[in-house]
Amino acid sequence: MSRSAQCWRWIGCTLTVMIVACTRDADRRDPATLVVALAGDPGQLNPAITTNGSVNTAASLLYDGLVALDDSLHPTPALAERWEIENGGARYRFHLRRGVRWHDGVTFTAADVKFTFDQLLLRFHARTRASLGPSLASVDAPDDSTVVFNFRRPYAPLLQQLDVSEAPIVPKHLYEKGDPLRNPVNIAPVGTGPFKFASYTPHNEIRYVANRDYFRGAPALSAVVLRIIPDNDTQVAALEAGEVDWLYSVPGPARQRLAANPRVHVIHTSMSLGGSNCISTLGFNLDRPWARDLRVRQAIAHAVNRPQFVERVSFGEGRAADAPISSGIAFAHASDLTVPVYDTVAAAHLLDAGGWTRRDSDVRTAHGVTGVPDGTLFTIGFKGMPGQMVYGDLLRAQLRSVGIDVRLEPLESAVFADAVFTARDFDTAIGSYCNGTDPEIGVRRMYVSSSIAPVPFSNMAGYRNPIMDALFDSAGAAMNLDERRRLYHQIQSLAVHDQPYVWLVETTNTQAYSARCHGFSGTAHFAATAECGR
Amino acid sequence: MRQVNSRFVAGRLLQVVPTVAAILLTGFVLVHLAPGDPVLVLAGEHGDAAYYAFMRHRFGLDESLPRQLIVWLGHILRGDFGFSYVYGRATSVVILERVPATMLLTGSALVISLLVAIPLGAIAATRPHGARDIGISALALGLYSTPAFWIGQLAIIGLALGLGSFPVQGMTSAGSDATGWSHSWDIVRHLMLPALVLASQEIAVLVRVTRSTLLDELSREHVRAARAKGLTALQALVRHALPRALLPVVTIVGARIGHLIAGAAVVEIIFGWPGMGRLLLGALQSRDTPILLGLFFVVSFTVVLASLLADLAYAAIDPRIRLR
Repeated sequence: MSRSAQCWRWIGCTLTVMIVACTRDADRRDPATLVVALAGDPGQLNPAITTNGSVNTAASLLYDGLVALDDSLHPTPALAERWEIENGGARYRFHLRRGVRWHDGVTFTAADVKFTFDQLLLRFHARTRASLGPSLASVDAPDDSTVVFNFRRPYAPLLQQLDVSEAPIVPKHLYEKGDPLRNPVNIAPVGTGPFKFASYTPHNEIRYVANRDYFRGAPALSAVVLRIIPDNDTQVAALEAGEVDWLYSVPGPARQRLAANPRVHVIHTSMSLGGSNCISTLGFNLDRPWARDLRVRQAIAHAVNRPQFVERVSFGEGRAADAPISSGIAFAHASDLTVPVYDTVAAAHLLDAGGWTRRDSDVRTAHGVTGVPDGTLFTIGFKGMPGQMVYGDLLRAQLRSVGIDVRLEPLESAVFADAVFTARDFDTAIGSYCNGTDPEIGVRRMYVSSSIAPVPFSNMAGYRNPIMDALFDSAGAAMNLDERRRLYHQIQSLAVHDQPYVWLVETTNTQAYSARCHGFSGTAHFAATAECGR
Repeated sequence: MRQVNSRFVAGRLLQVVPTVAAILLTGFVLVHLAPGDPVLVLAGEHGDAAYYAFMRHRFGLDESLPRQLIVWLGHILRGDFGFSYVYGRATSVVILERVPATMLLTGSALVISLLVAIPLGAIAATRPHGARDIGISALALGLYSTPAFWIGQLAIIGLALGLGSFPVQGMTSAGSDATGWSHSWDIVRHLMLPALVLASQEIAVLVRVTRSTLLDELSREHVRAARAKGLTALQALVRHALPRALLPVVTIVGARIGHLIAGAAVVEIIFGWPGMGRLLLGALQSRDTPILLGLFFVVSFTVVLASLLADLAYAAIDPRIRLR
């Protein structure tokens, strides 16, 4: 036998030994441990100083808000046991639960709440700062178990903004000294939540153990391990291999495969990393001369086939958006609006009327359009972040059939924010606008003129209408639900009439978990009620 | 290492300083010229102008670019790479935490690729255009033209999910408290698949280089003389042809360290390996300038150092070469 044959035999043997030796030994993990896949390393675990989605997702289990939101988004008691709304909605008085302790044993008091709002949330938490900041006069702690929010004017949506994902309460005794952004406690956090921090290995995993003294009852799980797995497909493979038990979000192409897997269960939810009740929305840049003509915007709305977006872009999940406010905010959603339906003939008439005519070429040209030289081809740009360019592909095909040429301009997210919201250098753009739990949180910013600002996902269209501004001001201050419902209906009718946006798809998020676990809730503390077996 | 002159080493080390400085300066300018604002990314949706101004001031981003450059250079000279915008911790700490994982991955991939590629190249060269040569060359060409992210996905689906022989992701088992040998074994199990995938790209290059230089050597007089004095073909190859054929391989390995680190970034993301490559991607997306520049420094320094080491190794292997 030749030397090389021997050599091959050696290589063969070594590979066999390697594969046999590596064969996955029976999982020695404690079955009451839940392993969660996380897409990004949060870097730090203080959700009160950032709106970063991965910090929020990772840290929510450690903390509590004054209130919690149940599966149907109704406020329920958390750190606050009960509350009263006084002064017609301009003052909220919260009575805190007594005997709650921080994970380090120190007693939780009203001073922690005041400190968290004054020093962290209202300074560093961009969302709370922007939404509460302008209307809030002060947060007071008259005694250890009472907190009072004083507003300059009645403020309706406060309770929706006090749960752990919007306003987590952090311990004053650990944050009062030094710079909160660089406080070492941020990577060894102390909260009041159902799980306690145990360890953090950067870019690898974060471990929590059950808080046996949790004021709402000890969780059934003994530990939660958050694994940092940046690649979506690898997350799915890890779930299939049993290395991970929970995925916050399943990529579209993998959904069917997981749904067919008996060892995996899937849940559809309106909650996603970016927020809840999100609508994929096409925005017109109203500073562009062609986009100022209402007929042209309506024509594009007619040329868009929304069910096709649901089918081809969202893999059949979610629903075609039929109103500016998501159906997930049931009290405010208007279901009886006359939104332009798919009708290419109507679109063609409107474009002809707007001066965009089809002569010899496939693409329309301008004739007498204000601000546009005659003979200009109807070519518009479409900017989007990489994950959203699938919308552009389909839009391009749909608008082509009515003689509009769409030029796709994919941009990385940091550049997208700059180009669209700071430089306002775009014709049309796609954004996922998460409406949140109240129109004040995620809808207002798209329509009021004061939020035409270099802020990501503010008023993208640059839409200004004083009637709209006044309607939103009244709706935010109205304390009566029927009154608010009526005002939001008016807002939506006006938005459909002015058509600064085309609302495409109400997207849903698919979560998946190992069949050895059950009992997850749709709240931020999703794992507090879960159990896992063998 | 008698041939290596200490003055040569000192001279080359001095060259490292301007090279790295130039790379850092270019990096600083590029990062700041690129569109995208770290404060916008940090605030995400819903910020307001006052918040942006407040954060810009905190990070010193409200200063002019030349002023930022001077401040930054001053800090670098004192060995201070600043604080990460995202992590809120010292850049040097954040980066150094990741270095061991990347070194382990790239080091193993390098060793594996040498151990596999040199014998394969030698086998291919012994009988050019024979069946084995064609097989090996086709394999090398196939690996060379296949992107790592695809091989990685295939490896996960085939070897990890299909065979169940390897873990899918990570560097250790989730929630593992293993210590000592079982801990090391746990890391080795997790390391194998990413290291093999990363090595596959290097194997492709090294097989081809080894084969072609060895073919050159085998036709030379000194190899024929070796055969004539009674050595077997294998002995002649190992003792006389291979050492000389390895010289270009050493140069190639030194020059490919940059490639290896770039490839590691892709492999780290696919396999959830906690190294620098993932840090780089995250820092790029969030415009975390201090981390980006810190990584530029570490990577450029490593690449420059690797080419210096390759030169020294060259001299050590080949007695004809004297470095002055």
